Amino acid sequence: MWERTLQDLIRGLRANKKDEAKFIAQAVNEIRQEVKSKDMGLKAGAVLKLTYLEMLGYDMSWASFHVVEVMSSPKYHLKAVGYLAATQSFGPDTDVLMLTTNLLKKDLTSNPHDIAISLNGLSHTISPDLARDLSHDIVTMLNHSKPHIRKRAVIAVYKALVKYPEATPFALTRLKERLEDQDAGVVAATINVLCEMVRREPADYLSLAPQLFRLMTTSSNNWMLIKLIKLFGFLSPHEPRLVKKLQPPITQLISTTPAISLLYECVHTCIVGGMLQHASGDSLAELCVTKLATFLQDPDQNLKYIAFLALAKIVPTHRNLVAQYQDMILSSINDQDLSIRMRALDLLSAMVTRDNLQSIVQQLLSYLVRPDVSPFPAAAQSLTQNISSSTSNGTGPILAPTQLSSYRLAVVQRLLAMCSHDTYDNVVDFQWYLSVLLDLTYVATVKVGDQIRGQLVDIVARVRGVNRWAVELMTRLLRDDTFLANSQEEGSCAEVLWAAAWICGENSREIAEPQKLLPHLLQPNVSLLAPETIGVYLQTAVKLFGAWSMELSQNWDNGRLQDVREVVDTLISRLKTFTSHFEIDVQERAANAVQLFNFIRADLASFSPEQDMITDHGTSLSQTPTYPKSLLLINPLFSVYELNSVNVSAQDSIPVPDSLDLDTWIASPPREFTLPDASTVDGTEGDERLSTKKKVKGKGKGKGKGKEKSSKDAILSSQTDPIPSVGLSETEEERIEREKRRLERIEFRRHDPYYIADRPSSAPSANDIDSIPVVRLDDLPPLSRVEEPQYPSLLRDSASVIPSEPFVVDKSGEMPEGVVPPPDAKPPLIPAVATRSSSTDTMPQVLSSFPAYVVDEEIPRAGTPEPIKVKRPKKGASSARPKRTVTE
Amino acid sequence: MIHSVIIFNTSGVPRLSKFYTPIHQSAQTIVSKIYSLISTRPPGSCNFLEAPELDELLGRKDADEKLRVVYRSYATLHFVFVVDLSESELGMLDLIQVFVEALDRAFENVCELDLVFHFDEVHHLLAEIIQGGVVLETNLEEIDSAVHQAAAARKQSFAAANPLALGAGGVGPRSTGLQTPLGWLTGKLTGVGAR
Repeated sequence: MWERTLQDLIRGLRANKKDEAKFIAQAVNEIRQEVKSKDMGLKAGAVLKLTYLEMLGYDMSWASFHVVEVMSSPKYHLKAVGYLAATQSFGPDTDVLMLTTNLLKKDLTSNPHDIAISLNGLSHTISPDLARDLSHDIVTMLNHSKPHIRKRAVIAVYKALVKYPEATPFALTRLKERLEDQDAGVVAATINVLCEMVRREPADYLSLAPQLFRLMTTSSNNWMLIKLIKLFGFLSPHEPRLVKKLQPPITQLISTTPAISLLYECVHTCIVGGMLQHASGDSLAELCVTKLATFLQDPDQNLKYIAFLALAKIVPTHRNLVAQYQDMILSSINDQDLSIRMRALDLLSAMVTRDNLQSIVQQLLSYLVRPDVSPFPAAAQSLTQNISSSTSNGTGPILAPTQLSSYRLAVVQRLLAMCSHDTYDNVVDFQWYLSVLLDLTYVATVKVGDQIRGQLVDIVARVRGVNRWAVELMTRLLRDDTFLANSQEEGSCAEVLWAAAWICGENSREIAEPQKLLPHLLQPNVSLLAPETIGVYLQTAVKLFGAWSMELSQNWDNGRLQDVREVVDTLISRLKTFTSHFEIDVQERAANAVQLFNFIRADLASFSPEQDMITDHGTSLSQTPTYPKSLLLINPLFSVYELNSVNVSAQDSIPVPDSLDLDTWIASPPREFTLPDASTVDGTEGDERLSTKKKVKGKGKGKGKGKEKSSKDAILSSQTDPIPSVGLSETEEERIEREKRRLERIEFRRHDPYYIADRPSSAPSANDIDSIPVVRLDDLPPLSRVEEPQYPSLLRDSASVIPSEPFVVDKSGEMPEGVVPPPDAKPPLIPAVATRSSSTDTMPQVLSSFPAYVVDEEIPRAGTPEPIKVKRPKKGASSARPKRTVTE
Repeated sequence: MIHSVIIFNTSGVPRLSKFYTPIHQSAQTIVSKIYSLISTRPPGSCNFLEAPELDELLGRKDADEKLRVVYRSYATLHFVFVVDLSESELGMLDLIQVFVEALDRAFENVCELDLVFHFDEVHHLLAEIIQGGVVLETNLEEIDSAVHQAAAARKQSFAAANPLALGAGGVGPRSTGLQTPLGWLTGKLTGVGAR
């Protein structure tokens, strides 16, 4: 038989480039035979070939056992193959590892070559078990006569300690002795290892500082100095005295060393080691920044790169020092080199302040807009590319970094994060920022629509002063049919339309002629959008119509009747196309809207302009208004509550109402779980149900409140009723029997893997939580006795003033009353364009004339503000859709 | 520490890959992704690879545990080191240089073919510089002598096991280039068989 060696395999691979897979399949088949051979040389050859194939992506885990066989060969050249294969193919879960314990023990006591190779192999493949069993043998090797072995042992000990920390006390002292080794290489390796260990637990190694300090001041080996300086960078934040001690030698190194890598490491350690905050740190900081600035100007891109790395770390403490170089940094955003750009971007976002935010953002935007490098490299450029053969590879034209979508995404995300940092702390002009967001929507061409949408909604909720401008921008976006048509394209940010529609709908009073926006909201192309966006579109269409009809009703003119009819007809026909949308939510909203408009259409049809004679139209509050009454149907559905951003902790801060007694029974317990005394019942189950209810309410929308409220009322009022005494008597036997059953059940559940006990099952209470019946609250008859009005008047007097500059950001968000003083400086609403000043007063009267559609309880009654105990804040105002919240 | 050492050529074919810590994706994915990122960089770029998609590829999210890719290109080969924050950036660049110089000493004017056909030798040499992801030795002389001692030991062991063999299996510059007639014949035969 002619067996192939590794060289033959490689040669064969090169000769069979066209049919590599077939050739390899054949080779692997041969290898499978060869590894079973009795001839160890042949076996090792096969394993070596496998190792090569493994690098090319072929599995060799099946051969693990054969690898161990080869490792155990007494012949050094075969053993080396075995260990190599093991380091390349064994992972932490390779099961044959446990077979190697004795083999390794033997090799560790063999000749120096075997020891070296096994220490090296161990450093790769060591597992916790191996570390436990071999740690003593490895530590012994720390005192081997050959420096080469000691060096390897130092690293192997570290690897063992990582896997088996229990050996640390015993191994560490021996390891520290190596710092005094005569061989410089062993000391350097020890420093390398200590650097890794100190990084994990700096506080544990502070005692080493004097020894390390002595090494630092005496050594001239730059490799070791770099590591030592790095080590001190980890240590000094934990020991203030070190900072003082280190400053002089490091300052000296900075000014004298010719090695740039060492210089950089010193600067870096000064920064991360907290030496600049210390007294006399300012001059050192200046020295560092000047050194780094020379790196920035250096033609060597590597120095530029690390300068950015270090500057980004120095910015938080010494912003003004770095700010001198802002122009240089800004220009690097446009660097050819993506790595430099990324670092410059990092540094820039760390440098942002109120003053420079606008210029930085403007700069970034302009990079996004303008392709900075022509797709065809300039002649000189391609020439240099050909000359420097090391980097040219003929894989096609090099893409400009701004063209890479991943880089664009990074830029846009950084930009958004920069501006929204600390609730828009650095943004002074929100009109400007909204325009930036709109620009981003167009130029980003990466998937950031979600984030832009979130910020738009967030800003509109927090910064009242900017709402008008927001509506202006958003109507522009909504009317852009090209944007809509392109919404299918990748990176189109179509999600922003969600925000646009929502903002316009919520601030419909700002729009002079809302009906003109309706065709854009319901055009056929809208169906291209995501279902949730369509949902918001439909809702917005209804809101806009509500605003418009309200406005009409106040300045009614019979000539408008025809207009309204036409609009309503178009609305209905457009909305109907959405009633068969595949998404249930869209369907439902469309169907609801169609029904509303059907009613309005009917009302409009029956409206006859005979009431023309009544002259004082518009503000008339009489029972027979001059305009179609249905015009006032929709607006109140949406405009009853003011939107506020809500504090994240608002839900948790809701005070528990005094009248809430969770310990009382809601309904009487059924017969089979009778209790001796109702008053001792632990109402845990009821407790849970109640709190769930509360949470549901917190998230519920305004319209859903009525029902939930009533069920809560049911709960509250039922507790005042005397608990029916059905079957409350229980004999002693029954009680004992019941207790026994309960204990049995607890015991059973303890062994049930599917039962997760959420509270200590050994609760001393004799009352079985589990036996409390679950009462279906929905089935309870509604209770007539309602103590508090469900919706007190919440409308704010709209005669408020426009907030003057600067913009007020509602940073904290709304809190429940009584927890903190209610936010006093809440920015008031901008008066509507189409004024609605009397809407608060007129609404109830007018609405009450539509008994069929009006749910009486939902009408806010002016002048009956009674304190509401439970509010319904929403969680996290920043991302979630703002919901209607109760305000006083 | 050093998390991986990868060598691939300008067409993206791996010549050596060593992962000192478990990887979250297949080695091939990592190699090909790093290759595609490096090969599209314009000439004169810095030796630190930075790309938005890199963090995900290397499977580290923490800022503290961020991995850096340091690479250097020599003729037709790219040498890539993936390191964490306890290694000095510029120090790693120097270490790659040491690695290449050590290769050059061992193979006398090292070229890509040496790495192709002496894949195991390159691994043994790397083991004299880095052990388990920690730098073992940076002194070129020390590395060179250790490499030679280990190679001599392998050669001696091979010679003892195969008294009749002529050079093959040993090490040292181009030693296996000298083929036994038997090996030459095998090569021919396999060439035929494979086609």
